Amino acid sequence: MATTIKSPFPGTYYSRPNPESEPYVTEGAEVSAGDTVGLVEIMKNFQEIVSEESGRVARILVENEALIEAGQDILELE
Amino acid sequence: MSNGTLNVIDGGLETTVQDYPGRPGKLAQGYFPSGAMDHFGLRAANLLVGNGLGDAALEVTLGAVKFALTRDATIAVTGAEAPLQVDGDEIAMWTTHRVPAGAEIAIGVAPGPGFRQYLAVGGTIDVPELFGSRSTYTMGALGGHEGRPVKAGDELPLGEDNDADAGRRLAESVRPSYARDWDIEAVRGPQATPDFLTEKGMQTLFGRWWPVDRNSNRTGIRLESHKFDWARTTGGVAGGHPSNILDNPYAVGSININGDLPVILATDGPTAGGFVVAATVAHGAFWKVGQLRPVGDRIQFREVTVDEAIEIDTELSELLTEASVETS
Repeated sequence: MATTIKSPFPGTYYSRPNPESEPYVTEGAEVSAGDTVGLVEIMKNFQEIVSEESGRVARILVENEALIEAGQDILELE
Repeated sequence: MSNGTLNVIDGGLETTVQDYPGRPGKLAQGYFPSGAMDHFGLRAANLLVGNGLGDAALEVTLGAVKFALTRDATIAVTGAEAPLQVDGDEIAMWTTHRVPAGAEIAIGVAPGPGFRQYLAVGGTIDVPELFGSRSTYTMGALGGHEGRPVKAGDELPLGEDNDADAGRRLAESVRPSYARDWDIEAVRGPQATPDFLTEKGMQTLFGRWWPVDRNSNRTGIRLESHKFDWARTTGGVAGGHPSNILDNPYAVGSININGDLPVILATDGPTAGGFVVAATVAHGAFWKVGQLRPVGDRIQFREVTVDEAIEIDTELSELLTEASVETS
């Protein structure tokens, strides 16, 4: 069953912890509940997007450094 | 005897203790006033629960917070609309509720419009005063609860239960309307035409829509860079850019042009600096600044006179009386 992980925060989405690092997740990777799947820059801080579900990443729905709204879908898990 | 505590289960993005008007008049000592970003929302929540209008309450940013109280209490939540629940049951905002000790109070994420909520507890949040206020000064790490936003595990002291009635609600006609496109009243100056900007430059400030940057917070609301039409080519002895001036004090609501970037200085902003303040948000309109949502919101400044600005503030304050409260 597919489920989406949403960002609770608005801001700029980053797919990796810093520009030199590998992305938190890639399509096809396994994610466990509690894993960080992205960062959001908001109010001069970085907030982690934490998955509340476990599953395999079917699709990443946002580009790195995209501006996102609170509640926007970030990943699709299956 | 203890009056109980408000216990933080989830503090969310940035939840701070704030009162109103914070610590005004202390610029010379290095304090911007702090206090509620949306002074209407804070005062309305306090009015409903029977506190003094400027008493300390929690300012929640975006939502996604959970709290519990160790004593029965009357609470009210105002501000940006978001799901509000007590032990999983949905309850109304802008309304008082009697909440039993131990119940979980949860505010969900505000989808917008609006960005901040105020949770007032009858009897107030009784953190220690610092220089006459219980407000948290986030940049200075002073006041409020340990000088910082609250986090899971914090226990905030409450004042004595005032037994305020449940079912008190702010009349619909009195509740502010929030938007994604905001019209915010501002007064020209103190550094405007003719010495600093041309009339064309001022019309740029007042004429266009300004997007709210993601890095806006209690220190300032950052807009976007724009070339202004300056009345001079440099700042002279103060610096090479025409926005440079010799350091001078700032006010809450100053629209500070930092090079080419306008920033609205907010309640935890800098006390002084060396950039032009081309206009100043009317105090009675500053509550809107507290509800601006980074990413997606836009502002148009509307020029008002000083007399009109005073009128806006007077009219707003006149709404905050028992006449605006309905009971069931």
